[in-house]
Amino acid sequence: MNENLFTPFSTPTILNQPATIPIILFPAMLVLTSKHPINNRLATTQQNLTQLILKQMMTTHNAKGQTWSLMLMSLITFIAMTNLLGLLPYSFTPTTQLSMNLAMAIPLWTGTVMVGLRFKTKNFLAHLLPQGTPTPLIPMLVVIETISLLIQPVALAVRLTANITAGHLLMHLIGNAALALSTTNLSLTLLTSTLLALLTVLEIAVALIQAYVFTLLVSLYLHNNT
Amino acid sequence: MLSRVVLSAAATAAPSLKNAAFLGPGSFFNHTGLGVPLKTTKRIRASICTIITCRVLQATRTFRTGQPHLAPIPPLPEYGGKVRYGLIPEEFFQFLYPKTGVTGPYVLGTGLILYALSKEIYVITAETFTAMTLIGIMVYGIKKYGPSVAAYADKINEQKLAQLEEAKQSSIQQMQNAIDMEKSQQALTQKRHYLFDVQRNNIAMALEVTYRERLYRVYKEVKSRLDYHIAVQNMTRRKEQEHMINWVEKHVVQSISAEQEKETVAKCIADLKLLAKKAQAPLVM
Repeated sequence: MNENLFTPFSTPTILNQPATIPIILFPAMLVLTSKHPINNRLATTQQNLTQLILKQMMTTHNAKGQTWSLMLMSLITFIAMTNLLGLLPYSFTPTTQLSMNLAMAIPLWTGTVMVGLRFKTKNFLAHLLPQGTPTPLIPMLVVIETISLLIQPVALAVRLTANITAGHLLMHLIGNAALALSTTNLSLTLLTSTLLALLTVLEIAVALIQAYVFTLLVSLYLHNNT
Repeated sequence: MLSRVVLSAAATAAPSLKNAAFLGPGSFFNHTGLGVPLKTTKRIRASICTIITCRVLQATRTFRTGQPHLAPIPPLPEYGGKVRYGLIPEEFFQFLYPKTGVTGPYVLGTGLILYALSKEIYVITAETFTAMTLIGIMVYGIKKYGPSVAAYADKINEQKLAQLEEAKQSSIQQMQNAIDMEKSQQALTQKRHYLFDVQRNNIAMALEVTYRERLYRVYKEVKSRLDYHIAVQNMTRRKEQEHMINWVEKHVVQSISAEQEKETVAKCIADLKLLAKKAQAPLVM
C-alpha cells in the first residue's frame, strides 16, 4: 500500500477523487456539540479542557486581544486534533503539507501586524529597534529586526510542517526496519518495536506541543501588537 | 458549540470584552469603538457581555437554518451503549447468540482476519507495526488513566449539579425563613397586651416616684422654715439671759462698797486663823 516513503504525504484520493477537504473537515465532527449544561463524561472532559486552555492562554491579553479568543481556540483545537488523528495508521495529516500551514500562518501573522500598525503605530515601529543599541549600529539593526519580523510567518509554518513530517517519517522508517527484521532476527524486532513505542509516545506529545506552540506564538505576536 | 463554550468561558474568564468579533478577529475591519475602560464594574461588564453575545447571535443567524424544536426534546441517555473490546457493540453478540452461541462472533472475527491476511487484502507493511504499537499504547493509557479521568469528569458534573441544587435549596430556605418570620410576627401581635401592661405599670411607678419626691421636698421646706423660727426664738432667749446675767453682775459688783470689802477681807482672815488653830490642835494631840 505504501510503496515508497512519499505516499503517506501525497494527496489522499477516494476512487481517484481528491479527498483532502473532507479529511481536513473531519476533526470538526469530533468536537463537542451538546447544548445541555450537564453532559456525559466525554463532553464534560472536552469542555473542561477547552476552558482550561482558554483561561491559560487568553488571560494575559487585554480586551482587544481577547476578541481573538475564538480564533485561537479553534486554531489550537484544529491543529491538535489533526496531528493526533494523523498518528493513526493509514491516515493523512493535512498539517504535513506546507501549503496548508502557510495558509494558516500567513493570514494570522498578517492580522496581528495590521492590528499593531493600525492601532499602535508608534509602538510597533519602536519595537524594530531594541533598547540600548549604540548609535552606529542602528541602521543595520533596524534591517535585522525587520527581517526577523518578516520571517515569523514562514517560521511558524515551516516549524509545524517539519516537526510533524519528520515524526511521521521516522515512524515509517522504524516500522519498515521492524518489518524487515521480523523475518530474520526476532529479538531485534522486539527492540525496534520498543523504540517504535517510545517514538509513538513522543509523537503524541509532539502533536500536542506543536499545536500549542503555534497558537502560543500567534498569541504572542498579538500581545505585542495590542 | 465551540463558539458557545468559548464565549461563555471568555465571558467568565475575560471580564471586559471590547469587540467580540463576529466571525473571528475582525476588530480591524469592524471597529465600532465600544471603548469601555478595564476598570468598569462587574454589572456593566456583564451587561456588555450579554450585549456582545446578542450581537454575535444576530450576526450568525444566517448559519442557523434548522427549525427550532417546538416540543420538549427527550433527555440524553446517561450512559452510552455497551461495547465489547471498545469497538463492537453488545447487540452484535446478542444478535448472533441464537444461531451460533457464545463463540460465534469470535469465530467470525478470526475467520475474517485470517481471510484478509491470507488473501493479502490486508498487507502487512510498516504501518502494521505502527498500528500495533499505537493500539498498544492507547489501550495501556486508557486502562491506566481511564478511571481517574472518568472520576474527574464525574466530579465536575457533580459540582455543577451541587451548585444548581444549592441555589434551589437556598431559595427554598429563604422562603421558609420568610414564612417563619411572618408567622412569628403574627404571633407577636397576639401578645402585645403584655407590652401595654408593662408600660402602664412603668408610668404608674414613675408618677408615684414623682409624687413622693415632691412630698419629701415639701416636708423639707416646711421643716427648714420651722427650724428657722425655733432658731430665732432660741437665740432671742439666750440673748435675754445673757443680758440679764450681765445686768445682775454689774449691779452686784457696783453694790459692793469699799468698807464692806475691807470688813469681808478681815473676817476671812480671822476665820482662817481660827481654822489654823483648830487644825494645829488635833495634830498636837
